Amino acid sequence: MPSYNLYMGCSVPANYPNYEAAMLKVAKELGMELEYMEGVACCGSPNLRAIDFMGWLTVNARTIAIAEKNGHDIVTPCNGCFASLKDVYHHLKHDDAHKKQVNAVLKKEGLEFKGISKPRHFVEALYSDIGIEEIQKKITKPLDGVGIAIHYGCHVLRPKDVTEFSPEIYQELVKVTGATVIDYPLWKQCCGATVLPVNEELAIRLARDKLKSMTEAGAVFATVACPACGNQLDLQQLGLKESYGEEYNLPVLLYPQILGLAMGMDEDDVGLSMNRVPAGSIIEHLTE
Amino acid sequence: MTEADEKDGPPVVLVDPIDMSKLDSEFRNEIKSMPYGDELNACFACSTCTAACPIANVWTYKPHQLIRMIILGMREEVLSSDEIWLCLTCFQCQERCPQKVRVTDIFFDCKNLAAEESKIPETIVGLAKTLMEKGQLYEVTADWEREDMDLEPAVPGLSTNEFKDIIKATRTGKIVGGEE
Repeated sequence: MPSYNLYMGCSVPANYPNYEAAMLKVAKELGMELEYMEGVACCGSPNLRAIDFMGWLTVNARTIAIAEKNGHDIVTPCNGCFASLKDVYHHLKHDDAHKKQVNAVLKKEGLEFKGISKPRHFVEALYSDIGIEEIQKKITKPLDGVGIAIHYGCHVLRPKDVTEFSPEIYQELVKVTGATVIDYPLWKQCCGATVLPVNEELAIRLARDKLKSMTEAGAVFATVACPACGNQLDLQQLGLKESYGEEYNLPVLLYPQILGLAMGMDEDDVGLSMNRVPAGSIIEHLTE
Repeated sequence: MTEADEKDGPPVVLVDPIDMSKLDSEFRNEIKSMPYGDELNACFACSTCTAACPIANVWTYKPHQLIRMIILGMREEVLSSDEIWLCLTCFQCQERCPQKVRVTDIFFDCKNLAAEESKIPETIVGLAKTLMEKGQLYEVTADWEREDMDLEPAVPGLSTNEFKDIIKATRTGKIVGGEE
């Protein structure tokens, strides 16, 4: 049974307990042992990277160093945390001077960044370590081919030399549930979350463009694997009626919710009622 | 070109001339010495980055112009620009650059230099404060929602003091301290 250091970050536990719970449940069913990391806090987000590179480097190196005490990889359900951790991991592997500088600080806590425990996104670990074949065996209520648009999230796709993530990973994971992956023009585009603190109007426009592109291409549902993207695509829909006079009614599900349902869990197991745009209609697409 | 020519018809040049005496020739080296700045000089101003940027329409300086401005040494203009803070950090410019210039990463470098000079949007200073005071951006407020999902009400393993101590000693401490 593969074991992982589970790094939650701050957004999922605070805003998406349904994501956290659904992830833990599918992981358990599929034999992934996720253990909450001890003594960790925030990744700082891209905002910390922007204003305080060394601080951002150090806090994330610290998280990795804590994981290295047991040597298992880190998994996280958040694209932002993944990006911070993976970027720092990548950078410190290539920059000895910064590695020394960071380790001098970590030494006070008896920690050292070595670069053993790799930060990974939960969906990538699911795909690479469990595999589509094993997941397929657990699918008892496949979806009926309903169209789902994937919002991958920028920070898991790019920069690819750092993230080492490919879109096929997410596509295969959606297909195995029985759904059809909807190809849409703006699949690569940002949800707008990062610009929210400095220009809300612009952030809303980006979310709206994304939703428009998805629905026009025929998506009945959308899926994300990031709390910030979830906020933008799910929560922001509620305000679009006022700002744009547009209503999309596109339910946005966190990926483990879809997988969990296809594995036979019920809607309470995956916290479907917590999704902002009502997502209950996905139940009608499950087949026995 | 004579002065008389300039007054007649549309301007021959569409951008204002650059005042060479105001350029900081060291700026490019400063960026090049920062993380991911190595490939800066490879830019040949094809503007593919601008074509890839989903918000370039709202930028006065487009991504390719900012890179050009860095190379030319327009330090003040770049570090005071709103654009570096509007960057979505979506990395689409960087992904498509045929010259492998790490455009988004370089804008992160610019933001760090701007931050060192206290040129930071108020809202971002606010986030820095939150990070330093709480050790995280979001705190669990609806613990009943967690309990509904059979999760522990408080996040297991969360410990924020070490995080706070680290960023208090780095630039965040200065930024937040300077505000008080």
